[in-house]
Amino acid sequence: MITQTIALFVDAYRELNAKKLFWITMLLSGLVVLVYAAVGINEKGIFFLWFKIPTPVPIDSTTLPPALLYKQLFQALGIKIWLTWAATILALISTAGIIPEMISGGSIEMLLSKPISRTRLLLTKYATGLMFATLQVAAFTTASFIIIGVRGHVWEPGLFLAVPLVVVFFSYLYGVCALIGVLTRSTIAALLLTILCWCGLFILNTGDAVLMGINVQLQARHDGYDRAISKSRDGARKLLTARRAESGDPLPDDHALSDEELLEVMPFLSLAFDRRAETEQSLAKLKPWMKAVYAAKTIVPKTSETTSLLERWLVSMADLKAQARANPERADSGLDTKTGEINLDDQEVKLRAEEAIRARPVWWILGTSLAFEAVMLSAACVVFARRDN
Amino acid sequence: MSESPALATTTQANIQGSDWAIDLAQVAKTYGRKIQALKGISMRVRRGEVFGLLGPNGAGKSTLVKILMTVIKPSRCEGSMLGQPIGSRAVLRRIGYLPEHHRFPTYLTGAQVLDFYAAMTEVPRADRRKRTPELLDLVGMGDWGSTRISKYSKGMRQRVGIAQALMNNPEIVFLDEPTDGVDPVGRRDIREIVAELRRRGKTVFLNSHLLSELEMVCDRVAILVHGQVARQGTLDELTAGKERYEITLAGDEAPTRIESALPGLLRLDQPQGELAKRVGARGELAGGQWVEIDHATIRVGTTDPATIQPLIDKLREHGAVIRSIRPHRPSLEDLFLEAVGEPASEPPPNTPPNNAANNAGKFAAKNGGAA
Repeated sequence: MITQTIALFVDAYRELNAKKLFWITMLLSGLVVLVYAAVGINEKGIFFLWFKIPTPVPIDSTTLPPALLYKQLFQALGIKIWLTWAATILALISTAGIIPEMISGGSIEMLLSKPISRTRLLLTKYATGLMFATLQVAAFTTASFIIIGVRGHVWEPGLFLAVPLVVVFFSYLYGVCALIGVLTRSTIAALLLTILCWCGLFILNTGDAVLMGINVQLQARHDGYDRAISKSRDGARKLLTARRAESGDPLPDDHALSDEELLEVMPFLSLAFDRRAETEQSLAKLKPWMKAVYAAKTIVPKTSETTSLLERWLVSMADLKAQARANPERADSGLDTKTGEINLDDQEVKLRAEEAIRARPVWWILGTSLAFEAVMLSAACVVFARRDN
Repeated sequence: MSESPALATTTQANIQGSDWAIDLAQVAKTYGRKIQALKGISMRVRRGEVFGLLGPNGAGKSTLVKILMTVIKPSRCEGSMLGQPIGSRAVLRRIGYLPEHHRFPTYLTGAQVLDFYAAMTEVPRADRRKRTPELLDLVGMGDWGSTRISKYSKGMRQRVGIAQALMNNPEIVFLDEPTDGVDPVGRRDIREIVAELRRRGKTVFLNSHLLSELEMVCDRVAILVHGQVARQGTLDELTAGKERYEITLAGDEAPTRIESALPGLLRLDQPQGELAKRVGARGELAGGQWVEIDHATIRVGTTDPATIQPLIDKLREHGAVIRSIRPHRPSLEDLFLEAVGEPASEPPPNTPPNNAANNAGKFAAKNGGAA
């Protein structure tokens, strides 16, 4: 059994080794690492080689520690753009043919006539496809680990979590690719339909992110009105107490100020009340959509959340809060009494959004995605096992 | 061909179970609801023999082998291979297989192909390393082991394919069209390899269109037609009763000589005077042997030369000039063509061979002249 597994992996390595695309992807990975190795930060600002990068708000090593910069670059450029987009497409192109080629005429007879079950053969071939992604991510992460160590002076072993996370992310797509490959026996169909499926997931994820962003904005706005009304309530109470004392009808100490009394003292708050009610209505309208998208996401793989787990583990909320506090251009939160609008602190909203993302449990992200993958692979195994080849 | 130490001799001592390497009963395969590829095949292959399976395209030869190799699932199958039920994966460790139209990964070298497929049969690494060069030498590819398959000709791929089928020192070797794309020298080499395998006690199961190849190496054959076994047995068994002598006369007056010489010797099936005018006119000698007259040729259904001596004497008495007298045994091709024309039905014994000729004609017509 082990002899066969080793043979299949050695064969897969030889196949990858023979493919130019494997080495082209490796080379491009090296270039990406070099690009962010060329980014530097000191007390004067951020530089690319010798050129200072203009930023909308001043960023330097006092507001953004070098270690955090490189970790965020690794996450934003290395993982989110390179590994989970460009390198994934290249990996799919390289590996989409593994299963269709295996089950093509002339090849499958050679393998099925050996003492190996169809299920094990298919799953091992599937695993050899993941080897491509594993080798690519491992090489990229090792290079990044060295760059962050040398340039950011932080030797962060947590970076290597990128290897299992990106491989798990790729495995969701490759599970779909395997099923389509078994069903159609066509490399092109497997590749194109997997990319189509991936685009569908991207649209769903984007929709989810947009809804979540709107929800966080509305929630922050609602909380802002709550805070502003609550803050005004103390002042209004003092004013009302003074007025009642003058009129000989003193306000009892335990008297809770009603909204009507509040508006009587501070009529300009009526706008804030109206806006808060509007925000509540909007939140109520948004809720079923969010539930629907959440339900849809529960049954499909969570590609972006999976790779974002790395950021969750590498960069703590405390780091992000410290970074937000260090930003000199924070907008003050408060009520504009003339327009009734609430001024939101962008950094605060971003932190809230990040907290909302991080509130989704890891088991939901990985567990349900892996369950989807298991369903895809089980279907592929059933079709392959029942088919005459 | 050099003797290869990679092929250990399979002796009766290390054989377990019955004398049958393959013992099949009622193997059937239906695709969908209508297409019956195999209609209940019953077949037995002895251990240590070279068994040939032949049949026209679409007869079900490769389907049958693929069922034995677990590549295709049968609709119905009873029987065993090396004492194990058909479909058992464990028995595949003791089997070698070269599929028709095989496709090896082109990024592998010849030696890597042998190593990979042997590893898939769970041959230990040390044995693989030892056998790879030996078997490459055996198939005449010793100098090409480190060259990629993509640079091989079809014949070279076929040779490497045979070598990979032998890597696990199998007890049964299935070779599906092994000489496909191989030049005459290569075909001779493959015949010698098959002979060597037989000498070493291996059972060889050959699927081939090249009937002359099979005739040269097979101990027994089965002819498959429309998913059924039409004939099965040794060549002697299959040709029993179909051997004959052919006497050919010279000269334009040969029919006249026959006309005058034979009536006294024969019980004729047709009126006298018509004898030599009709192709395929038939009669019977006093001993019961059939006689067929075809213009200037007389065919006699016997293997005994004494039987035809009176006939020769009579012809000579009537001035006939004898051009040739030769014993004739039907070839595998004759049997094949006869079987193809008359699927799944045994001809009655002593049937005159003109039926075979007629049937061959029918088959050629059905297949656009390419029998």
